[in-house]
Amino acid sequence: MIPAAVRHVRASTLDEALDALADPEAKALAGGQSLLPVMKLRIVRPSVLVDIGRLELGGFHLRDNELRLGALTTWDTLESASELERPSFAAIAECAAEIGDLQVRNRGTLGGSLAHADPASDMPAVVLALGAELVLRAADGERTLAAEEFFVGPFTTALAPGELITEVVFPLVAGSGSAYVKVEHPASGFALAGTAAQVTRDGKQRVAVTGVGSHPFLLPADADPFDALADAEIYGDRFAPVEYRRHLAGVVARRALDRAQERMERCDE
Amino acid sequence: MSATRRFELIVNGEPHSLEVEPRTLLVHALRDGLGLTGTHVGCDTSQCGACTVLVGGRAVKSCTMLAVQAEDAEVTTIEGFAPDGVQHPIQRAFVEQHGLQCGFCTPGMILTASDLLSREPDPDDATIRRALKGNFCRCTGYQSIVDSVRAAAATLREEAAA
Amino acid sequence: MSESVIGVSRPRVDAPDKVTGATRFAADGHVHGLLHARLVLSTEAHALLQRVERDAALAMPGVVAVLTADDLPLASAGSDRTTEPLARTEVVFAGQPVALVVAESEAAAEDAVEAVVVEYEPLPAVVDVEDAMLPGRALARVLEEDAGGGDLESIHAGVDKGQEDGEEEQLSGNVLDTIHRNAGDATALLEASDVVVSGRFRTPWVYQAYIEPQVATAWLEPNETLVVSTSTQGSFVTQRELARAFGLPLEQIRVIAEPLGGAFGGKLALMEPLAAGAALALRRPVRVVLTRAEDFQATNPASAQVTHLKIGARKDGTLTAITARMIVDRGSNAGWGVEGITSLLVAGPYRWEAHDLRGYGVQTNRFTFGAYRGPGAPTAAFALETLMDELAIELEADPLELRLRNAVVENDVGVSGNPFPRMGAVEVLERIREHPLWQARDSLPDNEGVGFAAGYWPGGNEPAAAVCRVNQDGTMTIVTSAVDMSGVNTGFAAIAAETFGLSPDQIRVVAADTATGPYSGASGGSKVTYTVGAAVLKAAEAAREKLLKAASEELEIAPADLEVIDGVVRAVGSPDHSITVAEISAKALRFGGRYEPIEGHGGSAQTRGAPSVAAHLAHVRVDKETGEVTLLAHVIAQDVGRALNPALVEGQMRGGAAQGMGWALYEELVHDESGQLLTGSFLDYAIPLAERVPDIDTLIVEVPAPDGPFGAKGIGEAPVVAAAPAIANAVAAAVGIRLRELPMTAPRVWAALEESRA
Repeated sequence: MIPAAVRHVRASTLDEALDALADPEAKALAGGQSLLPVMKLRIVRPSVLVDIGRLELGGFHLRDNELRLGALTTWDTLESASELERPSFAAIAECAAEIGDLQVRNRGTLGGSLAHADPASDMPAVVLALGAELVLRAADGERTLAAEEFFVGPFTTALAPGELITEVVFPLVAGSGSAYVKVEHPASGFALAGTAAQVTRDGKQRVAVTGVGSHPFLLPADADPFDALADAEIYGDRFAPVEYRRHLAGVVARRALDRAQERMERCDE
Repeated sequence: MSATRRFELIVNGEPHSLEVEPRTLLVHALRDGLGLTGTHVGCDTSQCGACTVLVGGRAVKSCTMLAVQAEDAEVTTIEGFAPDGVQHPIQRAFVEQHGLQCGFCTPGMILTASDLLSREPDPDDATIRRALKGNFCRCTGYQSIVDSVRAAAATLREEAAA
Repeated sequence: MSESVIGVSRPRVDAPDKVTGATRFAADGHVHGLLHARLVLSTEAHALLQRVERDAALAMPGVVAVLTADDLPLASAGSDRTTEPLARTEVVFAGQPVALVVAESEAAAEDAVEAVVVEYEPLPAVVDVEDAMLPGRALARVLEEDAGGGDLESIHAGVDKGQEDGEEEQLSGNVLDTIHRNAGDATALLEASDVVVSGRFRTPWVYQAYIEPQVATAWLEPNETLVVSTSTQGSFVTQRELARAFGLPLEQIRVIAEPLGGAFGGKLALMEPLAAGAALALRRPVRVVLTRAEDFQATNPASAQVTHLKIGARKDGTLTAITARMIVDRGSNAGWGVEGITSLLVAGPYRWEAHDLRGYGVQTNRFTFGAYRGPGAPTAAFALETLMDELAIELEADPLELRLRNAVVENDVGVSGNPFPRMGAVEVLERIREHPLWQARDSLPDNEGVGFAAGYWPGGNEPAAAVCRVNQDGTMTIVTSAVDMSGVNTGFAAIAAETFGLSPDQIRVVAADTATGPYSGASGGSKVTYTVGAAVLKAAEAAREKLLKAASEELEIAPADLEVIDGVVRAVGSPDHSITVAEISAKALRFGGRYEPIEGHGGSAQTRGAPSVAAHLAHVRVDKETGEVTLLAHVIAQDVGRALNPALVEGQMRGGAAQGMGWALYEELVHDESGQLLTGSFLDYAIPLAERVPDIDTLIVEVPAPDGPFGAKGIGEAPVVAAAPAIANAVAAAVGIRLRELPMTAPRVWAALEESRA
């Protein structure tokens, strides 16, 4: 219920944060909606929290060919942003709206959740399906990583020690449609199976799945979801055995594709 | 590592100074530090919403926020929600529409409703139910709570139009 | 008053405090010098406790003590949660409290729990309840202790056990109790019946999930009185349990019941022995507030059950016979079980020509089971009402007409051997038959269905007393020791207002404690309005008598010619000839006053039962691809005797129905093969949320209870009983599959659909 003892430092600049994060026992604290629950269960016990919650890492930049979202953008902002109402980015708002609940969405951040990489969290599917890139900053510089290279295992990402996500960049694929569909676990609200889909004007399809494996993953491009999932390594548990989850992933993938397709057809970009 | 931090924040319109361990959750700082026991602890997995307060007017689960994260913030608990002892329309609606039984989830319900109605003045029932996803009730079956929020919304719209 | 207040929907008397956060729940009160406790819970489902190493924990900052069973001044041997609040030698469930860490702060206690090391010698864990019954099986409890049990059983509609004859079957020592009710030759009659249906039904362990975790605070007064301030359903029963635990005389124990943040049966003398034991041992105030994780593991959820049921009927729809074998997983509760009540209620509110009903209470290495809203009833109704639906299909009969044809009326003899009192089974069924949803059941879109089910709760009786005291200003204070779990205080105010002649606004209801209050049994069993309410009515009458006597002297009119309207005593037919209640009271309550204080004491001892029947309609849609069941609408009709306050009655109906939805679709406590709890938080244990509960239409049926105050009776439990089978029957109507196991989760529904497609 109560976290183990920890120190707290508030970073007033990004550089300060990165310096403090050089300590391997340090963890970045943004909205806290992913980190604090696991600290309260004492699963995670950092020695120091580097509070980046007040850094200027929020914000939206919609340019001709891309959408740049700051890592501290909250789900609430994404859910209600008019800039995201276009079919090509519909999956982002649609996904954000289904994360947690109203209170969680007021504080939870894009970067915090992606860095936490819960294998049943929602947004990773969207960043994968929409081909996003993550901008990562460390004390010694910046790099950009494709989403496909970012999620490597349960709660494990390609983030190097001392590195922070600063932005998530979505390419604007004109005329495309996207969607996020999930079936949630009735208790936790996490995805039993969640899929994000992108359908482009020239018929290309991208589908990413979360909640069913060790980490969220992309299906092979343009593949039939059920076929693709037949070969995937799917996790199961007492509540939702493997066969059910595999089937469910196919169902929500098809529904996401259908919805993305429909949005694409209505789109007039 | 029991070193404490001292910081200031505004609670229910009044400035306060708190000195707590960094790991202290906001809900405990409010209850134990400031004696504001209207905010309740109902779970330990950030789900039930009995601990909901407003931070900057937005509903937040105070069990999923460290007290130190509220430095310089404006926090409103249920005790500060009704100005000068006069019932807020949302509180009055919960009383009149029977939106409570044991009352343990009620402060959280009221504050979440406040956030919802500040952004969506005329929500339909589905929107209300969705907004209450992070507020558990075991007594009422929710319908009277939805009725209360709907009635409160109507009152607030009337007051705004007047 | 010119208008009656009975039957008027008024806000709860405690609502204003609750919406402002002014209500002090049991964890809210400030106590000087308070210490905080956290539990060390067993990690083994069955083991001998070898050693508790506490030195490391004791060395941590803020830690005052690490207590084990030997440190508590327990007076008697015993193996229930009262006499063994911390495990002595044998641990019988994973999650059983083994030690208590007491510290200056909750954080310090929580830190220190991690440093306590417990050594166990593991024993075989008994987890399969049917297997555990077989002779020669390992026992869930190997050491002999006095089983005890106190009087907790009687609180929840105590029923007789029928004949007890365990000789017929060879059963292991894990079978703690067997019930057998038998009349006529049920087996032969079934064989001769035109139609017979049967099935094996499973229901899981289910958690009450009150939103306020359990909490108790205990301290010693300078005169050695042990004071316990707690979130409990019953102060007097808790007092008795504490007396039993610590060998203290009753007058040395004062139990104060604080406002209750939900209980539903689960808060009865569970944490108080721990807090009290610690306070007695340390001679400092101690508060035990459970974290939700502790509450999941270490409290007392409702038993899992396996029910084998068979029912038969004639072609004309008359029910013939019922046989049942009901196995109740008591977990480690040796003291009492629901096998008696469940094997009674499996017969439902129907007439049978013969019955053969067996119940078994079996111990396993799981939590001590506890009561949860209508204990034993939802499980029984799930089996019966599913089979009644199947019977209707076999008979090509309308399912509701089948119930109506066989519904009990007053004086029909039930399987208990006792006649049913006046109750509204027929009226409830007829009322729900008219509902548009039932009328529309055959014209719904694909994959949608409407299901029906009915059930009842017998209610309970316990003597009670109350005081009505008129204050100097003419207001009234009602004093009871009843815990307000369902809104009863508001009902008391209405009863007293109507009886005495005041507006309910002029009436306050206060809860007294064991030192100060008139007696009240625990709140539970659906009896408080019926029993304490009856006492309040008598107390109000007694106070009114005193009032009229004094008024009669003042006005020089005979009491029989006076009436009391809205706080004014006046001559019937000549309203100007009057005096206010306040004036009379002021004359009484002063030095040299000439009238007795206007106070009344009333008592009740109901001997007749007042059962309540509730019927449900559930409208569902099934997503065949995902197995998800969406609840589209729900209707509940209930015989409430008399709705003293319709809004509060509807609240009970909706709340119970919603809990039934949880039984149906979501709720299940799961253990693995070694007895470890896998669903120990709300991340795994799903309770119904606002988005998942539909609108619930409530139909109040009033068939006055002959002995109830204004005809009212207890109604809190009946609404949960048949909700789940209504939903199960709706799923069958929607997509043609029947599950015999609850909850009907999406994966299970999908698997059943797959099987039916194969």
